[in-house]
Amino acid sequence: MNSGLNVDNPTVVAAFRAALLHQGLIVLVIFAMLGLAWVSVRAAQPSKSGSTAAAAAEPAGRKLLRIGFGILWLFDGILQAQPKMAIGLPSQVIQPTAAASPHWVQVVVNWAGTAWSYHPLQAAASAVWIQVGIGLWLLAAPRGAVSRLAGVASIGWGLVVWVFGEAFGGIFAPGLTWLFGAPGAVLIYAVAGVLIALPEHAWQTPQLGKQVLAGLGAFLAGMAILQAWPGRGFWQGISHGQPGTLVGMARSMARVPQPSFLHGWVSGFASFDEAHGFAVNLFAMAALGVIGAVFLTGRARLIRPALIGFFMLCAAAWVLVEDLGFLGGLGTDPNNMIPMALLAAAGYAALVRVPAAAAQTTVAAGNAGERARGLARWRELVQPAALSQRAAAASIRSVAAFGAVGVIILGAAPMAVAQASRKADPILAESLSGSAGVIDYPAAGFTLTNQYGRSVTLASLRGKVVLLTFLDEVCTTDCQFIGQEFLQAAGLLGPANASKVELVAIVLNPTYRSVADIQAFDKAEGFQGVPNWLYLTGTLPQLQHIWKEYGVIGQDLPAGAMTLHNDQAYVIDKTGNVRQEIGTDPGPATTVTKASYASLIANAARHVLSAP
Amino acid sequence: MSRPVRAACLLLAVAVTATGCGSSGQASSPSPVGAVPPLATSVVTADGAWAVVVMGGSAADHNNFWQIFSRPPGSNGWRLVTPPGVASNGGLVIAPAGGQSLTAGFRPSQALVITPLASTSNDGSSWSPAVLSAAIANVPDALAAAPGGSSLIALLTDGTAERSGPGANWAPLVTRRSLAASAAGTRCGLQQLTAAAISSSGVTLLAGACAHPGSAGIFARVGGTWSPAGPVPPAALARQPLTVLRLTRTASGILALLQAGTGTSASLLAAWSADSGSHWDLSAPFRLGGTQVAAASFGPGDAAAIVLSGNRGITIAGPGQQWHPLPALPSGTATLAAASGATMDALSVHGGRLTVWQTSPASSAWTQVQAIDVPIQYGSSG
Repeated sequence: MNSGLNVDNPTVVAAFRAALLHQGLIVLVIFAMLGLAWVSVRAAQPSKSGSTAAAAAEPAGRKLLRIGFGILWLFDGILQAQPKMAIGLPSQVIQPTAAASPHWVQVVVNWAGTAWSYHPLQAAASAVWIQVGIGLWLLAAPRGAVSRLAGVASIGWGLVVWVFGEAFGGIFAPGLTWLFGAPGAVLIYAVAGVLIALPEHAWQTPQLGKQVLAGLGAFLAGMAILQAWPGRGFWQGISHGQPGTLVGMARSMARVPQPSFLHGWVSGFASFDEAHGFAVNLFAMAALGVIGAVFLTGRARLIRPALIGFFMLCAAAWVLVEDLGFLGGLGTDPNNMIPMALLAAAGYAALVRVPAAAAQTTVAAGNAGERARGLARWRELVQPAALSQRAAAASIRSVAAFGAVGVIILGAAPMAVAQASRKADPILAESLSGSAGVIDYPAAGFTLTNQYGRSVTLASLRGKVVLLTFLDEVCTTDCQFIGQEFLQAAGLLGPANASKVELVAIVLNPTYRSVADIQAFDKAEGFQGVPNWLYLTGTLPQLQHIWKEYGVIGQDLPAGAMTLHNDQAYVIDKTGNVRQEIGTDPGPATTVTKASYASLIANAARHVLSAP
Repeated sequence: MSRPVRAACLLLAVAVTATGCGSSGQASSPSPVGAVPPLATSVVTADGAWAVVVMGGSAADHNNFWQIFSRPPGSNGWRLVTPPGVASNGGLVIAPAGGQSLTAGFRPSQALVITPLASTSNDGSSWSPAVLSAAIANVPDALAAAPGGSSLIALLTDGTAERSGPGANWAPLVTRRSLAASAAGTRCGLQQLTAAAISSSGVTLLAGACAHPGSAGIFARVGGTWSPAGPVPPAALARQPLTVLRLTRTASGILALLQAGTGTSASLLAAWSADSGSHWDLSAPFRLGGTQVAAASFGPGDAAAIVLSGNRGITIAGPGQQWHPLPALPSGTATLAAASGATMDALSVHGGRLTVWQTSPASSAWTQVQAIDVPIQYGSSG
């Protein structure tokens, strides 16, 4: 799934920063243009908004969710901008999260991780802008359809992150517990999105608050049962010399780089739990069970103290067990406690702070009227004059909301385009091989024998672009990978270019260099039948002469070692001049880096093909 | 709260609880097949000796390289003759062809999926390369040469046996599946192929592990048909499954090492046949007592020397002889090899150093007689 590169690979980190910077400038331009357009329209057509009735206040519960989750999405977007995220998310976030889950979950998650790894820059930048965009949208749009659509966006992206980034929040993995993040923070973002997307009349009665709290109560009761379940390591602080599950988690969190006071708290809790594991788990189980049961009653008087207790429990777990959730490594969100506390608070607010009846009537009537007008009204709205009038009447918040949608599109569009392509981003290969310089010198000629036993000269390939490399057909590490990269490059170039580009390898083993040897390589690596593939060999003096001309090494080493050789490819243009030298050390040789090299090689061939 | 909402909440709680209690445990079933020893071995003939050991001492397999040592006839010293051109970290199997000839096969490793071969006719002074377009099996007798090296048999990882004909062209000989489905294979309940040999008279022999107790899985190809050619185990072992650990050609015929049973009740048997499997002489069973066969060596003549786990060694001189224990083997002993007279060499490996120790029947200790520092190319394979 992952590229196998270091997460702080300087080439990729620099490219990610540059991409964010460029897109950040575009974001500024989007907002500047929208602002300018809004000011211009207002100047040309003074607003008549004063004539409309004053809008009713937004229900307190909804407002809390909207602002709270808007800030959370913004914060998550900023976390996504960490330099190591482009390479690190698949290997350090997605893969470990899915590791304990069933095979089918890993298949689903691997697919997403691979898609990310194929386009690390686009994917990482997309995540930043989509999350920042949703956050801004939620914060900017307090009412109406635009606001509800922000909720829908929160649901959609939340579910994407929950499934692919959090491996379904780990709910299918053993060891599930509320204390470690169940049911996955982003699922709660999606639930909040559902509530924000509800028609406003849903917030006009205490029923919604009751249902939210009941759902939460049921979940907490389930978590209490799970906490009490024997054999999961929560009842023991230490067992057979090994730390219990909760102690292990706290100890691992304490090792994360963090402020010393926080380290002290988390370590202190781990020691306390080690000594009093049974009591700690009993308390956690009882607290979850009691709070869950009280939430299920739907009675405000009982819920108020339970809510305070829940906040305290969330705060304690967030600090002492989850260690704030985003410190060290590559944290992508502050984990489940803050969103869950927000959800509970919003449910309580919806239960006890029902909007005034007058406002309820007005809004209900307004909604009914809107529905009645239907399609005709939409047609009317898209008329230029009507649009201009509405733009003039729009608030600065509405303009900001439209800007936020633009930010989301800015993030999503490049990723969608990248996903539509089967090519991997060549940036990974560039980070391994270094950037190719522009060169132009005559390629050393050769006369060798191909895999069919026929003589081939470089001169006979004039008129074609030649991708030349040197391969040891019995090496154990690099050569097969380079061959596979060439084969993939041929696929990317397509049948149309097969007659214009020749893939050529020359044997790079002083001992194993017969035609039968290269035929065996071709068979094993799938080169048989590739029309524009040539694998060439010759006598040892012939080969040594060519190796010297191209500056490659092929030298047998003693004591069972692989033949010493370097990994190099050359792009030779139609006139026989070398135009690019590409270092082809495959690095970790993962599926992702091989695909990236294939893109790099195919791009180089296309570039030289299109050169005059 | 309404009833449907309560019901939904209850369902949610149950579902969450149920999913969280999942377990990822896996069940495993024991295999009746005896463990075929690693590739370390030696073969001693009147024309000299060959030994194969792994060196490097690294925790990473790709930094441990298998080596071939040769001891020319009349010499007491070993020399490194590992063929060049291929990384040997996947393992080396050897097939002596008589005289000073030998073919070595490099087992695939890392990205290499084919089997480079190297043949010598001058005691390893020079090698001729060739390639088998398949992956050779991870057993010491995966490669067998006809006398004079006119043809080779290879056991592959996919259970196929292939034979090289004229012009070094390889062709399938038989698959484990088809051999198991034959009358001979069905009787044995053939589970896997573990060894190949070609007798002095040119008869192709394959051997394997049988699931059916009391049946020794050695098969001879006569007239294009595979026939059972294994020995009948003694009555005491008739209820034990048998695995052929090694099968090799000796000066007087064929020598097989068999393991009867598994675990602490396992026994080791040597079996000799002078007529390609029609008649066998069996040694007395040697109770392994929970130890494993770490290496087996053959020659000269009908002798065999076994390295057992725990630095123990045993030898047997031939048909009608008893197993003899050796003095506690030097630490790191990879294989044994009979030396001149009645002495025995123990080749011990520590990192990149091969130390040759020697003992005689009258002695109860080992004496160091040679040390070779091998220039292991750490890091050369990834």
